[in-house]
Amino acid sequence: MHDLPALIQKSLQGDKRSTARLISLIERADPAAPFILEQIYPHTGNAYTIGITGPPGAGKSTLVDRLVQAFCGQQYSVGVIAVDPASPFTGGALLGDRVRMKHDRGDRDCFFRSMSAGKAMGGLAGATQDAARVLEASGRQIILIETVGVGQSELDVAKATDTVLVVLTPESGDSVQMMKAGLLEIADVYAINKSDRPGADSLSRALQVMLDRKTMAGGTPCWRPPICLTSASLGQGLPELYGCIWNHHDHLRKTSALEERRKSRLQAELQQKIEAELARVVREKILGEIEAAGWLEELWARKIDPLTAARRIVAAGFAETTGSK
Amino acid sequence: MTRKVRVVIAKLGLDIHWRGVYLVSQFLKDAGMEVVYLGNQFPEQIVEAALEEDADIVGLSSLSGNHMTLGPKVVRMLGEKGLDHVKVYMGGVMAPDDAAALETEHGIHKVFLPDTPMAKIVEHMYASVGIPRPQPQA
Amino acid sequence: MSAKKNPLFNESGIQQIETDHAAWFETTLGQADRAVEGRFFTHSGIPVKLLFTPADIKDLDYTQDLGFPGQAPFVRGVYPNMYRGRLFTVRQLAGLGAPEDCNLRIKYLLDHGATGVNILFDLPTIRGYNSDDPEAEGNVGACGAAVDSIWDIDAFFKDIDLGKVSTSIVTHLPSTSIVIPGMYFAVAEQRGTPWSRVAGTCQNDFIMETCVGSAPEILPPAASFRLQCDVVEWICKNVPRWNPISYNGYNLREAGTDAVQEVAIAISNAIATAEELIRRGMHIDDFAPRMSFFWDLHNDFFEEIAKCRASRKVWHRIMTERFGAKNQKSLLMRFHVQTAGVTLPATEPYNNIARSALQGLAAVLGGCQSLHIDSYDEAYSAPTEEAALISLRTQQIIQTETGIVNTVDPLAGSYYVEYLTDQMTQRITAAIGQIEDLGGLVKAVESGWLHREISAYNYKYQRSIETGETKVVGVNYQPAEKEACCSIDVFKYPETYTRQKAKLERLRGERDPRKVRECLAVIRDKCHSDENLYPYTIAAVKNLATLGEIEEVFREEFGLWAFPLY
Repeated sequence: MHDLPALIQKSLQGDKRSTARLISLIERADPAAPFILEQIYPHTGNAYTIGITGPPGAGKSTLVDRLVQAFCGQQYSVGVIAVDPASPFTGGALLGDRVRMKHDRGDRDCFFRSMSAGKAMGGLAGATQDAARVLEASGRQIILIETVGVGQSELDVAKATDTVLVVLTPESGDSVQMMKAGLLEIADVYAINKSDRPGADSLSRALQVMLDRKTMAGGTPCWRPPICLTSASLGQGLPELYGCIWNHHDHLRKTSALEERRKSRLQAELQQKIEAELARVVREKILGEIEAAGWLEELWARKIDPLTAARRIVAAGFAETTGSK
Repeated sequence: MTRKVRVVIAKLGLDIHWRGVYLVSQFLKDAGMEVVYLGNQFPEQIVEAALEEDADIVGLSSLSGNHMTLGPKVVRMLGEKGLDHVKVYMGGVMAPDDAAALETEHGIHKVFLPDTPMAKIVEHMYASVGIPRPQPQA
Repeated sequence: MSAKKNPLFNESGIQQIETDHAAWFETTLGQADRAVEGRFFTHSGIPVKLLFTPADIKDLDYTQDLGFPGQAPFVRGVYPNMYRGRLFTVRQLAGLGAPEDCNLRIKYLLDHGATGVNILFDLPTIRGYNSDDPEAEGNVGACGAAVDSIWDIDAFFKDIDLGKVSTSIVTHLPSTSIVIPGMYFAVAEQRGTPWSRVAGTCQNDFIMETCVGSAPEILPPAASFRLQCDVVEWICKNVPRWNPISYNGYNLREAGTDAVQEVAIAISNAIATAEELIRRGMHIDDFAPRMSFFWDLHNDFFEEIAKCRASRKVWHRIMTERFGAKNQKSLLMRFHVQTAGVTLPATEPYNNIARSALQGLAAVLGGCQSLHIDSYDEAYSAPTEEAALISLRTQQIIQTETGIVNTVDPLAGSYYVEYLTDQMTQRITAAIGQIEDLGGLVKAVESGWLHREISAYNYKYQRSIETGETKVVGVNYQPAEKEACCSIDVFKYPETYTRQKAKLERLRGERDPRKVRECLAVIRDKCHSDENLYPYTIAAVKNLATLGEIEEVFREEFGLWAFPLY
C-alpha cells in the first residue's frame, strides 16, 4: 500500500504529507507502526514538549494559538497535537481545536494535528507521545500537546511533557473541584486566562495560598509555579506567559531536572508498553485457546476453580510463547 | 484498531451560517467518523488542514454564493499538494445547475442540497472511502 | 395582579363543562383515541389536547388578559383599527451587485409607488470587510450589495431625495450599524437634508454578531453589545425618525431555537439595552418607542399566531411593570415578520409556495406590522424575479381575497388560541427569567449558553426528521420521486468585484491619508473610553475611511471572540 521506508525518509526530511500519514498509521496501530517507531526513535529526544490542560472553555486552544505565534516568531519549528474526547458509543469524534487557530494564511512553520482520545492503543499518553515523536523526527523543535483536563488519561498526557501549563479562568474558580481533578498538582506554570473578567485576582490569590501551603508541607520546592494573568483574545499577558514557560525550561536545563523527567517518563513508558504487550499476548495467544481447550466445561462441572484455571492457562501460555521465540 | 474515516469540514469564507455545517459534523461523528471541524476558513487553510490531518474527505459548506469560486479552488489546491485522493463534498444553498457543474466540471465528488437525509450523506462517505461503517456499541 | 374584573366564564358553567367533557371523553371516544391523548405537542413542546373547551381558559379575564386593540395589554393588536386603517407593509427585499445597479432598481421601485426601500448587503459588507480584502473572495456582490465607503452609499441613492424615502438598511451587526447608516447620515448632511427628515431603520443586534453568524473573526459579546447601545443612544438623540434597532428573533430562530426562545432572547436583549441606556442617563420613553422586533413565522400555525399575540403582552408588562414606561408607543410592540426560510426544502420547491402562504397567513392573523414572504427558491439562491413576484402576489391575495384583514384579531376567543397564547406568555416569561438567572443576556452569551442551546435544538430537530417523527412533505413523508426539480436561474454579478476594487483604488488615491489615519486613531482611542463612538465613525467616513478600515480598528481594539461551542 505504501512504500514505507520512502514515506519515513520523506517525513524525516520534513514532508508534511508523509508525516501526516505516519501519524495516522501509528494512531490506528497499523501493523507498520512498530517499524515506523523503530526507524524514527533515533531522531527524537531533544524537542521541548509543553502540555497544556485545563477545564473545558478555559481558552486553551486560543492560548495555544498565541504561543505558536510566539514560538514561530522566534524561528522555532512547532508541532501541535490537540486531543479531544471521542464518543464512547461510536468511536467517532468532533475535533474542534483548529477553529481557534489564527486566521492567517499559513505563513507559520507549524504542523497541527487533531487527535481523538478514543482510539488510543494502550493509553492516550502513549499514542500522543508517539505522534509527538513523529513530529519531532520530522524537524519540529517545540511540541505543544493540548488536552481537556477532565479525565485521568488526559492528565497523563499533559504530565508526559517537559512543562505543564494549566489554564484556568476566573469562572473555573471552584478550587475544590480542581483539586479533586488533580489538575493543580501537575502544573509547572499557571495561566489565569480571560483575566479581564472579575474574579481573576481572587483566583490568583487562592492559588498563591495553595502554593504557600504546599511549600510549607513539602519543604522548599526548587520550582514554584508562577501564575500568569492572560487574556488570549485581547492579547494581554502573553509575553509574560511566554517568558514563564522559558523560565521553566531554563530551570529544567540548569538543574538536572530535565534529564530526570525525561528518564522517568521513559521508564514509565517502558513499563506501560510492557503491560500493553502483555495484554496483546494474552489476547492473541491465550484467550483464543481457552474455549478450544474446554476450560469452560471444566469450570462448569466444578472440576476446577477460575483462579487456579487462570494461573495454569497463563503459565502454559507463557511457556509456549517464550519457548517459541 | 479500526480505521476511522477522517473528515475535515469547513464553512467557506465569510459565510455566516454555522448551524448546518455543525449539525452535519455532529451526525458524522455519531456515525463513527473523526471530524476535524474548522469553522469558517479559506481554501488555503482548508487544504493545509486536509494535509496535516491526513483527511480522507473534505466537506465544504456554502450558503452565500461563493460555492463556484471557492469550491473549485479547494479542489485545485488539493491537487497541487498531491492530495488528489481526498474527496471533496459540498453542501448548501445553490442552484441545481451549479451543483451539477461542480460535480461534472470542477472535481467536486458530491454536492448535497438542503434537506438531504444525514443517513444518505453518511452512507455516501463510507462508500467513497471504501471502508465499512462501524456498528455502534451499546 | 389586581382582583378579577371581567372573567369570561362563570364558575358553575366551567364546572359543568369539565364534568361533561370528562363524560364525553370516556363514553364517546374509542379506546385507541383515549390512549393517544397526551402524546401531542406543539413545535415548542406545549401539550395539545384533542379538544379544547372554556375550561382550558377558565382563568382568562377579558379586560386584563385581552383588552381592546390599541389598548393594554395589546394582545389583540397595536392599533385600534388594525388593517382597516393601515395594511401590513409589503416588504420584499432587494439589493444585489454594485451600488450603481441597486440605484437603478431603487428608482424603478420608487417610480412604481414604493415608499420604502430595503437594502441588503453581500457578506463582506455584512461582516465589515472591504470588497478587495482577501477575506471577501468569492462573496462580493453575491446575495446582496457591496458597500465599501461613503461613495457607495452616495451612488446607491443617486438622484433620490433622502428626506422623502424610508430606507431599511439591513446591517445585522452593531459594528456595521455604527458605520453604514453613518455613511447614509453623512450623505444626507452633505446634500443638505437635515437629519430630522431622514427616516429608516437598521437592524443592529449583537446576537446576530455573536451567536447567529459563525465567523472566523467576531467581536466579543460585551463589545458588540456596547456598540449596539451606542447606535441606539446616538440615533435616538440625533436622527429622530430613524429606528435604530430591530431585535432579530428571526435569524436566531432560523439558526435554531423554538418559538419561546426566539421571543425570550429578543426581549432579553431589549431589556439589557434599556438597562444600559438608563444607566447612561436616558429615560425609557426616550428610546423604547423606537425599538422594534423581527419574528420568524414557522410551520406550527396556531402556535405562531399565539406567539405574536403573547409577545405583545409580555412586552407591555415589562415596559410598564419593570421600566415604568408612560409613553403609549413604548408599551406597544411593533414587529416585522418574515416567513421561515428554514422550512423550505430544495426538494419539490413549488410546494414552498403553499408553505409560505400558510405562514404569511399566520403572520397576518397574529397582527404583524409588515411582512416578507419567502420565495419558493429559498433553498437555492436569493429569489429570482419570478419567485419574488409570486411572493408579492401571495401577500396581495392575503390582503385582498381572503377577507381576514376586515376584522381585528379574528382568532381571539378560540379556546385553543387563547390557551396557547396564555401558555406562550408564561413560557416566554419563564425563559426571560432563566436568562436573568444567568446574569443577563450578555453574560449568558459569553458563557456559551446560547450556542449550546442552538446546537442542541438543531441536533434534536434533525434527529426527529431522520427518524420520521417530524414529517416534511416530499422529503421524508411521501418523498419526491425525482431528486432535481425545475431549472432555477440565479443572479450573477461577477463584475461587482472588479468595479468595487477599481473604485477603492481611486478612493485611496484621492483621499487625504493623514486625515484618515487621524480619524482611525481617534476611534481606536475612544474604543477604550465610555464615549459614544458614533460621532467618531461619522467623522471617519466623511474623510473617506472605508468600512473595512473602521471594522479592523474594532477587531484590533476589542479583540476577537471564539465562541465556546463545546
